[in-house]
Amino acid sequence: MPIYVEKKPDVLIGEDGTRTDGRSPLDLRPIKIEVGILERADGSALVEWGGNRVLAAVFGPREVHPKHMLLPDRALLRLRYNMAPFSTPERKRPGPDRRSVELSKVIRTALLPAVFIEKYPGSAIDVFVEILRSDAGTRVAGVTAASLALADAGIAMRGLVAGCSVGRVDDFIVVDPNHDEDMWGDVDMPMAVLFEDRKITLLQADGPLTVEQFNECLRLGMACCEMVYELQKEALRRPYVMVERRALGVA
Amino acid sequence: MSKRTTAEIYVQERELVLPGQKLARGMKPGGNAFIDESGIVRSAVVGLVSVQSEKIDVIPLSSSYIPRPNDIVLGKVTRITGTTILVDINTPMSGIILIPRGSRRHHGDDKYDLKVGDVVLAKIKSFDNLSSPLLTIDAEGLGKITRGILIKVNSAKIPRIIGKKGSMVNLLSSKSHSEIIVAQNGYVLVNPQNLKSLLAIKKALSKIQEESHVAGLSNRISRLLDEEMSGGS
Repeated sequence: MPIYVEKKPDVLIGEDGTRTDGRSPLDLRPIKIEVGILERADGSALVEWGGNRVLAAVFGPREVHPKHMLLPDRALLRLRYNMAPFSTPERKRPGPDRRSVELSKVIRTALLPAVFIEKYPGSAIDVFVEILRSDAGTRVAGVTAASLALADAGIAMRGLVAGCSVGRVDDFIVVDPNHDEDMWGDVDMPMAVLFEDRKITLLQADGPLTVEQFNECLRLGMACCEMVYELQKEALRRPYVMVERRALGVA
Repeated sequence: MSKRTTAEIYVQERELVLPGQKLARGMKPGGNAFIDESGIVRSAVVGLVSVQSEKIDVIPLSSSYIPRPNDIVLGKVTRITGTTILVDINTPMSGIILIPRGSRRHHGDDKYDLKVGDVVLAKIKSFDNLSSPLLTIDAEGLGKITRGILIKVNSAKIPRIIGKKGSMVNLLSSKSHSEIIVAQNGYVLVNPQNLKSLLAIKKALSKIQEESHVAGLSNRISRLLDEEMSGGS
């Protein structure tokens, strides 16, 4: 028997568009990104997005095991999305399940167009996306973190991939739905965009939208992904800029 | 700078660029750059811009090692069969040393008398991107390494550790009075004079890796080595 029972809030969205966490429909949650935080991985990134904590690590290009998976003309890009047992309100049974297999797949295919896999034939690039704390929108936070970890590993890419969700709560189109809106809202539409080409590499939706609503979601989602992209660029530059300042300050 | 008027360059020499960032139009993409559908040259990695006459290069700030013929590499023997020695040289596929016929390796007085776990200095003979790189130890100075300390470094930083015409490695070696061999695959072999020189070299190597993108590196390394080597032992 679950000890913890979640309750639907009485009002998901106010008449003036105020959300359960006090945001307006077009506000993102606070996002903090750090790159290169794992010593032992070839590339890594931590994304703190609202209540989400997502850690991505990249190993490779490295030897392919098992050998029969080796691709002679390109790299094998593997991705594992995994939720920590303590990442949810109720303990999550460890190990892959239906949901995490699906998310591993969609995050992988969201990143695949960005990576020059043909530059690393016969090798494996392993990406691990670990959800330390979940609060709706972990897949888009995962894409955002994983693409930074790949860049940090020095793997050749066409560009960075930034993700963001949009959704519908009653008649409001809201960006970056929070946990309550994800659970009890009408639509959640996660998307990921490859910059700077602005090509959509991930698009899912789980509820009814009119054509007008869909177009509005797409427009807002693109704008949000661009905001996330700006944060990604800043985070990727930050360590180098800080070292430069310190080195020149001493000199 | 390009003399052609049609070329447009959007970045400065030595500017820090990110994957996907616009570099130029009307130029050829060099290393770690690519050209997109609309003809714009973009960076593929996090790195520093280097503008050549016709093309534009990006020098990566982090990368894995990709073998090139004639590179000197350090590796560990992982497997020995009758005719080959497999060496882990920090690449997706292990390097292979072919044991020549008539080698006296079973008599214990041969270069090819290696055991699993031995560290060898080898040269890349050939590599075609698809099969394992072929190595050779058949030259003066190559073969089993019997003494020294291995330090792992990022292979993207190897050119900075060597420096222009070996200036940086010579600086490290002379100031610490130690023998240093830099292998292209991201290993540095140090035969230090004493503990103090080893610590100085380790500090210098991590500083080179961290600050390779900041101008005036040699001066800072020189000063660091002087500081480390002077004072009480």
